[in-house]
Amino acid sequence: MNTFLKMALLFGFSLHAVAHEAALEKVSVAKDVPSIERGAETLMGACHSCHSMKYIKYRDLIKFGMDKKKVNEWSGGQSLDLPLLAQMSENDAVLAFGKAPPDLSVMTKARDGGPRYVYSYLIGYYQTKDGLPGNHIYPETKMPDPLGIIGVTDEKQLSEIHGKARDIVSFLAWAADPREEERLRLGYYVLAYLFVLTVLLYFVKNQIWARLDRIS
Amino acid sequence: MGNEMVSDGDRRDFLIKLTSVVGGAGVAATCVPFVASMNPSSDVLAKAETEVDLADITPGAMRTVAWQGKPVFILRRTPEQIQSVSASNGVLDPQPDNARVQNPEWLVVIGVCTHMGCVPNKEGPGWTCHCHGSQYDDSGRVVHGPAPKNLEVPPYKFLADNKLVIGRA
Amino acid sequence: MFANVINWIDQRFPLTSFVKHELTGYPTPRNLSYWWNFGFLAGLVLVLQVATGIFLAMHYKADAATAFDSIQHIMRDVNYGWLLRYMHAVGASAFFFVIFVHMARTLYYGSYRAPRELLWWTGQGLLLLLMATAFMGYLLPWGQMSFWGATVITNLFRATPFIGDDVVIWLRGDFTVGDATLTRFFALHYLFPFLIIGAVVIHLVALHTVKSSNPSGIDLAHKDNIPFHPYFTAKDFYGLGIFLIVYSVFVFFMPDSLIEPANNIPANPMQTPNHIVPEWYFLPFYAILRSVPNMVGGVVAMGLSVMMFAFMPFLDRSRIPGGAHYRPIFKLQFYLFMIDMLVLGWVGYVPQTSSTTIIGQIATLCYFGSFFLIPFISRVEERWLIKRGLPQEVMTLIDKEKKEIAERKLKNSQRKGGKA
Repeated sequence: MNTFLKMALLFGFSLHAVAHEAALEKVSVAKDVPSIERGAETLMGACHSCHSMKYIKYRDLIKFGMDKKKVNEWSGGQSLDLPLLAQMSENDAVLAFGKAPPDLSVMTKARDGGPRYVYSYLIGYYQTKDGLPGNHIYPETKMPDPLGIIGVTDEKQLSEIHGKARDIVSFLAWAADPREEERLRLGYYVLAYLFVLTVLLYFVKNQIWARLDRIS
Repeated sequence: MGNEMVSDGDRRDFLIKLTSVVGGAGVAATCVPFVASMNPSSDVLAKAETEVDLADITPGAMRTVAWQGKPVFILRRTPEQIQSVSASNGVLDPQPDNARVQNPEWLVVIGVCTHMGCVPNKEGPGWTCHCHGSQYDDSGRVVHGPAPKNLEVPPYKFLADNKLVIGRA
Repeated sequence: MFANVINWIDQRFPLTSFVKHELTGYPTPRNLSYWWNFGFLAGLVLVLQVATGIFLAMHYKADAATAFDSIQHIMRDVNYGWLLRYMHAVGASAFFFVIFVHMARTLYYGSYRAPRELLWWTGQGLLLLLMATAFMGYLLPWGQMSFWGATVITNLFRATPFIGDDVVIWLRGDFTVGDATLTRFFALHYLFPFLIIGAVVIHLVALHTVKSSNPSGIDLAHKDNIPFHPYFTAKDFYGLGIFLIVYSVFVFFMPDSLIEPANNIPANPMQTPNHIVPEWYFLPFYAILRSVPNMVGGVVAMGLSVMMFAFMPFLDRSRIPGGAHYRPIFKLQFYLFMIDMLVLGWVGYVPQTSSTTIIGQIATLCYFGSFFLIPFISRVEERWLIKRGLPQEVMTLIDKEKKEIAERKLKNSQRKGGKA
């Protein structure tokens, strides 16, 4: 949900909106190239056959700093100017799963809870009583358990899968907002500048208004 | 109302001037993203290079390819054509032919008339622009006005014997 | 040289006298507090919105098939496109925030009272234009919230008597919100800001005729007015600095906090999101719409709730100046009204349940009730305050006003008598 309103509501009087988020797992989104590259690699293997990322081009991945060889491999030798389209056509996917798999380009921005939602969803698979796969976060999902977490009890294996999910989420978060780093960097300069300017304006205002005391 | 201005001396003037300069710089800096947004976006820039396969162009034939939205003429010249253009330095904008090609067999020029920007037609030896009658020879040099300059040579590079990339020097 | 140029212009255009009349010689009460900064801020946000909007329009495509893509193109490929878009999106919220504070200040200090009724009504017109512009702009990203928000709001016009359904189709140019709707909303979203600029000029002409009110509510003596420039330009620019800091924190560090996640999903006419909410600035009015069980009644109530402010000059007949400053009951009522707005905003945000519906209905009654109570409260309060004793300056003012009214009445009757 809308973060700013949620804050306002927290200060106010509603607990409703927060309750939903409490159910989500916490995840720290990585910003470093290796994690994001690992995430991309996992995604290319586990998700890309059905899910496209049409706003990301292979060239963008190289520009971000990923290994050129790997990206070439993912693109299958196609032009790097092409977007990361799914290998399966949408029609085939609907036939297979009964639902079109959504594009993942802005996924972490398109769900309440953002990266936390996606992470919780990825690791939220479990076996129902009927022996079918279920998901805690999105029970109506048609997607089969992509990371194979169902039935895994071994601690080491579990934490490995959690790490994979975290890498995928980090990659998705980067893909949804590739200009974030540029934005934050510019933001600090702008704020520093505005702070100086405002202090100056404050002194100017005081000096100009001080004339009034002298006159009257 | 109607108070006379009272000068606070140099200190005040300095503060106001400083603030004006800082504020003015901020306004100017704010204009930068607005102006920059009108420049080609990154996806347009990514298309700033065009790769051309030369294999199926026969000697004497010409191919027009699009580079940055503009037509580029690629002419595979026969030895006779090369000989005839090497004989002169052009007329209105003298330039030797070997300064205009990397490999004499291949002439690569932007097909935009230097007069008013029309696209000349390949007619006989060279090109004729039908907008205002300018004529160019098989080196893309203007031989008849009103065009003032020779056809422009874009930056290009041979990746292999029969592979060319336009836009990369 | 400079003087010569000015002189040349002055012979052809009243530049110097204009600057003198409207800026360096424009009399402004010296006791204006920082609450009086928000009109200037609104003007500045308008400039920011128009500037960013024009540059965004150079990259945006008003076509149902490509609108969502073009927003992503702006966010990813266009140089500083992300900055322009976030500035524009945050700017919309900033605009409403600034305008709401501006209005709350007017209500608190009673600045709508004579002789400033026309000033207040032009402001009311500006609010409506702003709401329409914001609503149409919200469709342009063509996300799920855009689509379903526009669907719901255009459906409000079904309440039009007799031709409701036809009006809705006419508005949309289609049987549902579609490509035709998007294109016309874009055209109007581009047009309306210029209407707003025109209305702002009218607003300012009215302001410069009646001059600013001030916290005391008493027209100040000549010596207590100071020229707008340099005193209030300096103060306004200082306030602008503070505003820009807050604005930049949102633009650079939490720009998505004001964008509903569902609007990052492309519009899908086949599926409504589970929970559709309007932008925060429409929430109280949306809550009023939902509180009335009857469709036509809800639409009328919502329309009225926005328009109620225009009646303030008629409702508040108290002669005590200074708005809530000298009026404890009015002040209490003002704060209760603010709380009521927050409650309505909350009710508008959360999914509707039977308990929120009841809270919403109570809050709606309080909303309208507080307007209807004003005439009675202001009379009773005035009597009570005069009996209790008011500051000398206020009493003098009331006496003066009484005398003026009596004189005017006398003059009028004499004129009528003369004619007869």
